[in-house]
Amino acid sequence: MSPTPDPSPSPRDLLREQLATVLPHACVALPDDLPELIRTADVVVHADALPEVVPFVIDQLGYGLLSDIAAVDYFEHGLFELVYRFYSIGGGGDLVIKVRVPREQPDVPSLMPILPGAMLHEREAYDLFGIRFIGHPDLRRIYMWDEFEGFPMRKDFPKQGDNYIGEGA
Amino acid sequence: MITTDELQINIGPQHPSTHGVFRMLLTVDGETVVHLEPVFGYLHRNHEQLAEVNTYLQNMPYTDRLDYFNSMANNHAYALAVEKLAGIEVPERAEYIRVLMVELTRILNHAGALGFMINDMGAWQTPLAFGIREREKILDLFELVSGARMMCNYFRFGGVVRDIPDEFIPRMKKLMIAMPAYMDELERLLRENEILLARSEGIGILPREVAVSYGVTGPVLRGSGIAYDIRKAEPYSIYDRFDFDVPVGSVGDVYDRFLVRIEEMRQSRRILEQIIEQLPDASGGHINPKARQNVRPPVGDAYARVESPKGELGFYLVSDGGTKPYRYKVRAPSFINLTPLGDMCRGYKVADIVVILGSIDIVMGEVDR
Amino acid sequence: MSNDTLTHSVTFTEAPAALTVVVDPTPQIARGSAVIVERRRPKAAGWSLLQGLGVVVDHWRKSFRKLDDPTQIAGTFTTEYPEERLPLPEAYRNMPILLFDDATGHELCTSCFQCQRICPPQVIHMTQAKDPETGKPVPAVSEFIIEYDACMSCGFCAEVCPFDAIKMDHDFELSTANHPSLTVHKAGLLRPVSYYQSIAPTFWAEAEASAYKKLEANKKRRPASIGIAPQMIEQVKAAHELRDDQQEADSPPAPVAIAPALDAGRAATPATASAAPAASDGDLPTDKAARLAAIRARNEAKKAAEQAAPAQAQPAAEGAATALTTPDAPLTDALPAASERTAPPAPATPDAPLDEKAARLAAIRARNAAKKAAQAEEE
Repeated sequence: MSPTPDPSPSPRDLLREQLATVLPHACVALPDDLPELIRTADVVVHADALPEVVPFVIDQLGYGLLSDIAAVDYFEHGLFELVYRFYSIGGGGDLVIKVRVPREQPDVPSLMPILPGAMLHEREAYDLFGIRFIGHPDLRRIYMWDEFEGFPMRKDFPKQGDNYIGEGA
Repeated sequence: MITTDELQINIGPQHPSTHGVFRMLLTVDGETVVHLEPVFGYLHRNHEQLAEVNTYLQNMPYTDRLDYFNSMANNHAYALAVEKLAGIEVPERAEYIRVLMVELTRILNHAGALGFMINDMGAWQTPLAFGIREREKILDLFELVSGARMMCNYFRFGGVVRDIPDEFIPRMKKLMIAMPAYMDELERLLRENEILLARSEGIGILPREVAVSYGVTGPVLRGSGIAYDIRKAEPYSIYDRFDFDVPVGSVGDVYDRFLVRIEEMRQSRRILEQIIEQLPDASGGHINPKARQNVRPPVGDAYARVESPKGELGFYLVSDGGTKPYRYKVRAPSFINLTPLGDMCRGYKVADIVVILGSIDIVMGEVDR
Repeated sequence: MSNDTLTHSVTFTEAPAALTVVVDPTPQIARGSAVIVERRRPKAAGWSLLQGLGVVVDHWRKSFRKLDDPTQIAGTFTTEYPEERLPLPEAYRNMPILLFDDATGHELCTSCFQCQRICPPQVIHMTQAKDPETGKPVPAVSEFIIEYDACMSCGFCAEVCPFDAIKMDHDFELSTANHPSLTVHKAGLLRPVSYYQSIAPTFWAEAEASAYKKLEANKKRRPASIGIAPQMIEQVKAAHELRDDQQEADSPPAPVAIAPALDAGRAATPATASAAPAASDGDLPTDKAARLAAIRARNEAKKAAEQAAPAQAQPAAEGAATALTTPDAPLTDALPAASERTAPPAPATPDAPLDEKAARLAAIRARNAAKKAAQAEEE
């Protein structure tokens, strides 16, 4: 039933190719002169297109297992990156979708309506990075206590001391 | 007809059956659970940020403390991630030693996990003692090679700390003679036990489609009937050289998870036998590359995962070219396996909750990180 | 009531509505297959309980004998700690200690800061010694602090130390009500090399040659008593006085009259160790390997001796060890004790020379023989 991922073109290229035809507006064309740190070979999609891309990846490409959502704070470049990692139950390597949002307004549509497995990943990313997942039914702090101010995994969070100085400090 | 109100109760954070400091906020109607909400964070120490101020090597002992039952498996995943990032090769013998340690870890984890799960069912201590006894024997072996029983810190980038001592293999062979007897005994004691069946059959059912959509991995996913084992699905290290089967359940309840774990112990023993047969001698190069104390991977990111005894354990590393990781993310299996807990528990009695939690097999060091 | 739970249909309210995840029923599995575990039912009511009880009774019956064979799974395997203790493997690591040379009292540490740099919880602190006259740094450490209370026993410090000066101790009974005492200063960290040799003979044998070579080089750059373990200063002074006295007495002064006495503890080890392989034709590739083999042989001999008379051997050995390891133990006869300690308890060869000078000679001869053998092999 489900199409097992074809090994010959890499899943990443397959995704990029197919996205170009099915969801032409989804992919972000990255400029060539990006700083080295945020250069990537993976598929970067627009945050708004995520609710369309993920069903495509799961249904059409057969990558049904959401393994991980990792948030990365590229402080120097003013953006947050979310790394969505999918695997196929049939085996094989991963399929990565990256989403980049500006640090000032980290809003990403939640995967919860599509994939309930995103629940804890998104809560974690919210708690530690302050990324707001629009449409998440239960977006609360998960590790830190509810009264905690600030987001401890952000690069501008003070590494020492008890007090959070505030965003941008 | 008596009308009853719903009542909110807490199980935990300090509760013997929560396997650590973990709280479950229950809404109960009489004895029946209407809603369950897991509450995390009591053991949170921001492990991931700690890793950003340490060098790559310095993080190795901290990974021991994630899932403190399986420090070898954690070491393995982290070493693989750094090796992938920095492009480090591992000598043949070191690979075998690694897999050997990790499979021993799987046996000891399942021995412990089954014991604790049955403890939760009310079989107070006796099956647990059987599990712990086998675990102790394996821990003695770990102590022999690494110097510590639980916080092994045994893996290095491109190898392991030191070669296994001469007395290790004979001692392991002796242990392997005892293993089938132990597993048979465990089955004789429990497999058809009516009390165990009553407490586990049909409890905490996780249908296969739901299991996948919740992203659970490890014995929980396989108990739900999906033969997804990373050692088979995406063989890492040298797992493609061994013959072993992937046990799966058919119903997806607590009993299936129990059976899957017993069978996995047998399969791990099968792998161990093959390792002892194939283990190359020590002549094939050094095992501990001391020069790799200051790893400086090129700019980029890497994700490596292993089939830890609890599920998919992955490390996502981003390097900015320095000696410290720019980002270090742990994909912890026991954390993600808790996602469906609320749904798995809905409709069951309070006493079943602890059994379901026990069957997921969580370690709070890894859940809260 | 209990039937309720079994027939209850689970509703997943948050189940995916927009999307059904298609699950491939047969994932490809190479070199193996997916096995569906067999769900058994008891043969008859109560049968499984009896079967389980059988296991328990079986264990109870066997619990009267000691489980000392790891191929067995039943029996008592309790160790009555602290009266009985399990042997610790050499690799065992607890807290880091510093080593000093038995004979000369010189610390092996040169204050290179490697351990301080690698320490993950940052609990190692040290100050490099300075020459009191010139103010220049000296390869020795003037203060060394390890916070035992925060140490995570990872063993990195011992692993990175290029001078083999920091090692992991086997002493695990550190609990105390006095918390500040767990911030351990140099005097509390220092142990003689012979102590480490007693807990990890093969590890030390591997490190010994290079450690002493480096120490010899560093000693030359250490003025006066800098770099000498505090607990050894008195003895070293005494030894020096003795040497001066003797030099006054014999004229012309014997060139190495007292040096052997100072070096005795150390020299005895390679001597007797390499004497054993030398006896067996000396056809071993390297000196190091020879010494390793000798030490292994000696360990086995020791083990055998202990097995033969465990009751008497153990307390005696322990007594000797504690007398030596306690940092503030009376220092009056540490020097002779040290040399006794390093001398093998059960010589591997019957004709092992007892005289120190002879021992040194034998060592040199053995080494030469080994070298010759190695050369011959190369050719």
